[in-house]
Amino acid sequence: MKQQVKNLITVAVISVAVFIAGCSKNKDAPDTEYPTADVTASSAFPRQCSELIRGQIFTATIPVADNVELGSVSIDIHHNFDHHSHSTEVEECNLDAVKTPENPLTLVKTIPIPAGNKTYTVTQEIEIPANADPGDYHFMIRATDKEGWQTIKGLSIKIK
Amino acid sequence: MSRTLIIIRVVLGMLFTCALVQANAQLHQLIVTVTDDNGKPVPGAGVWLEKYEITPAAGSNGVYVFKELAPGDYRLRVALAGHKPFSKKVTVTDHDMSLPVILHPAVHVLQEVIIQSNTTAHRKKEEQLNLEIIKSDFIQRNLGGSLMQSLERLPGIKTIGIGSGQSKPLIRGLGFNRVAVIDRGIKHVGQQWGADHGLEIDQFAAEEVEIIKGAASFIYGSDAIAGAISIKPPALPAAHTFGGDIHLTGKTNNALYGTSLNMYGRTQKWIGTARVTLQDYSDYRVPTDRLYIYDYPVDLHRRYLRNTAGKEAGLHVSTGYVSNIFRSVFYISNTYSKSGFFANAHGLEPRRVDTAIHDRSSRDIVMPYQRVNHFKLITRSSVRLNRHVAELEAGYQNNFRQEYNRYVNHGFMPAIYPGNMTIPIDLERAFNKNVYSLNINDRLALNQHDLRFGINGEIQNNAVNGWSFLVPSFDQKSIGAFLYDKIAVNDSTLLHGAIRYDYSHIRIHSYADWFPSPLEQDGKTIPIHIVRAGNLQRNFNSITGSVGVNYNLYHIELKANAGKSYRVPVAKELGANGVNYHYFSYERGNTALKPEESYQLDATAVLNKNKWRIQLSPFFNYFPNYIYLNPTAGHDYLYGAGNQVFEYTQSRVVRYGGELQVKYQPWESVSAEVCGEYLYAEQLSGNKKGYTLPFSPPSSLLLNLTFEPVHTGPFHRTYFSVDYRITAAQHHIVPPEKKTAGYAVMNIQAGSRLNIQKQQVQLSLQVQNAFNTKYMNHTSFYRLIGLPEQGRNLVLSVKIFLNFLKNKQEI
Repeated sequence: MKQQVKNLITVAVISVAVFIAGCSKNKDAPDTEYPTADVTASSAFPRQCSELIRGQIFTATIPVADNVELGSVSIDIHHNFDHHSHSTEVEECNLDAVKTPENPLTLVKTIPIPAGNKTYTVTQEIEIPANADPGDYHFMIRATDKEGWQTIKGLSIKIK
Repeated sequence: MSRTLIIIRVVLGMLFTCALVQANAQLHQLIVTVTDDNGKPVPGAGVWLEKYEITPAAGSNGVYVFKELAPGDYRLRVALAGHKPFSKKVTVTDHDMSLPVILHPAVHVLQEVIIQSNTTAHRKKEEQLNLEIIKSDFIQRNLGGSLMQSLERLPGIKTIGIGSGQSKPLIRGLGFNRVAVIDRGIKHVGQQWGADHGLEIDQFAAEEVEIIKGAASFIYGSDAIAGAISIKPPALPAAHTFGGDIHLTGKTNNALYGTSLNMYGRTQKWIGTARVTLQDYSDYRVPTDRLYIYDYPVDLHRRYLRNTAGKEAGLHVSTGYVSNIFRSVFYISNTYSKSGFFANAHGLEPRRVDTAIHDRSSRDIVMPYQRVNHFKLITRSSVRLNRHVAELEAGYQNNFRQEYNRYVNHGFMPAIYPGNMTIPIDLERAFNKNVYSLNINDRLALNQHDLRFGINGEIQNNAVNGWSFLVPSFDQKSIGAFLYDKIAVNDSTLLHGAIRYDYSHIRIHSYADWFPSPLEQDGKTIPIHIVRAGNLQRNFNSITGSVGVNYNLYHIELKANAGKSYRVPVAKELGANGVNYHYFSYERGNTALKPEESYQLDATAVLNKNKWRIQLSPFFNYFPNYIYLNPTAGHDYLYGAGNQVFEYTQSRVVRYGGELQVKYQPWESVSAEVCGEYLYAEQLSGNKKGYTLPFSPPSSLLLNLTFEPVHTGPFHRTYFSVDYRITAAQHHIVPPEKKTAGYAVMNIQAGSRLNIQKQQVQLSLQVQNAFNTKYMNHTSFYRLIGLPEQGRNLVLSVKIFLNFLKNKQEI
């Protein structure tokens, strides 16, 4: 009962407060900007239609930025032998014929970004196992900011 | 194709049958003009014909028109608080009639003043919450892809929709499990927690719908926290009648054809009705040739949104016994739908499509698609004894929803679907729900008191299936009891008070992944089958209530209500723990959530004077613990397979807004109307402090001009009406939403009735989105991938009333 009386009082106080706040209009608008992941920057790798070699280590380099503060980045490599989905980019890459996977590479990495950064370059060393199926893959990048806005980039890549 | 032929045959067959039907007399108008002692017009009086469920169209100047009366004897009754009731025998012969009625003030407060009339105006004046009542005529005039889309014209009502045929109601910006839908007294329970799940209601079977805006938990229990939509049972056929109607509908935008055939019959005490509805539609068309899904351009084939076609079938049968003291009616219904999802992107996932397959036909449904079946058995009985009316409603429902999709190995799922799986390879998700409901209530008229007491109980069993996991299986039991009193303090004042107690219990069943995920521990990788839900039991209880007042004068109606409502967390909010790949989100439930509570103040003021009717309905609403799916900054490796973590949390939320309706009717045949709606919502605490709530509809203004000529020869109830809706941009958004630009859309409605072969035919024509405007709806499931709404759509609908036997006594 006490809690409910308290809630009723809160309702009354807030209604007055909101009324006043509504009149004064000096609140900061919440951040509504999505972060960016620049997959076309000169330093960025991989890019749309990049080719990776089995048995080698490559360094994924993804410059990300936000107007307030960055959150985290997640990368994901999965096969697209069945051509199930499309990249998010304009440029089309040549796809191999549809095929059945045997030992496709599946890789997920979550990379936290240190607090307080507006710009950051994610660098992550990734080894492509020598026994992975060659063919068409997707390289997906998910970047968030502190408020929870997420930008998704899906790149078509090839493993040779 | 053969199905089309069958439908055409059925339709033609019906047309021939109706041509052979026995003659039925011409219908006439009865115009009742109500004034007071001083000759001033009296609007808002209760005007009805005894024993007939016919309500007049109310003019703003005390004129009430019964538009179609068959020749015969009627008893007209007129009632208004503070006046002596009026009663007179009226004989309709072979022409239209006018009847002046003068109401005299009551010297004493008479018992008869608190009279139960079935007129809409009267009902609204005696309800403490903001109430809208619409009839099948309104649905026919504004026929949309679903019942909820047809209701969207009302201020404060919006929908959350997917495609052209599925949508759920949004009352003042709240939807999903925050709006209770009541079908013939029993709460309709489907899978309303999901944005891509529609509402399984056949709009042709809805004759009367009540919409309550505001906290209505004290009547309907959990879920009615933002309001309720109650689909009333169809009016019982009059004694000794046998008839029906057939409804034919066609739409140009998505090449829809549909029919609904209704038959009814009644002896003195036994009734029987049956209805069959069939609809089939193609992909819908949008006013653009090219879409951008992220940066990737998608070209549309002849502006069709690939794979948005669908089909629906509904069957409804009822039978019952009716006497003055006792009545009992059984309803059995089944609705089925199969509808496709847009093929180029589902949620946020861009998909490569085989355009050859999709563009071959705009009518086929290929993957991804959903299939929904809803079966219902409802029985309603009531007994009238002395001053009591006792009612019993019992229901069983089964909702079965399946989502089919090609297997894609997202995250750590195996590349090749294992051959030993019992789940079909195409079944992404399935939800099977059984619901048993029971309502018992008693109504007692005692001096100035109108008392109601009731108990509601519900048992739910839910099972999930499919290779994708989102929500665990669960069982749920709930019981509630309420007491409600309406007190007529004097001629113009009604007081309302209600209190309710609810208890509910939920049991969630454990679930483990069917595939292993790599757990990284001490530098080693161990494959484990993740347990996504443990066995869990929770109990909830809550006390809710409301107090309200109505104050009705000649030209003024005022009402105010303060209430507390509540909602029990649903299984998804408690137990979600899976990846929704359509959104690349890992949704994590919270087993510690408290029941959501809402405190709401509502008021309505109506001025009804001369040629004006002005209604203002503001509201203020506060949630101390609104349940909210919060997109966080983090990604989860193991449980979320690298996806963004969305977690259920509770925050304080304030909401306010209202609706304004102004109607000006300079002549009986011409009226102009302006309806406006405004809503503001803000989260006051938590991670999204300062942000709004998801799916907040932007402000909008509806301008209407209606011409309803009175004397039009063989045509009657003719109307021409233009709606111009201006919707503001929505810049108040919260992750993962996008800002939506403002737009203006014009709809045109026209219709009439005439008698052909002695049978009445009702014609309605609509042009929706007359200028083929390209715009996006902020509350559409497809908003996030930037799909525009349906382009220009011509809707033609014909309803033919069939009367095989009017009244035995006449023969």
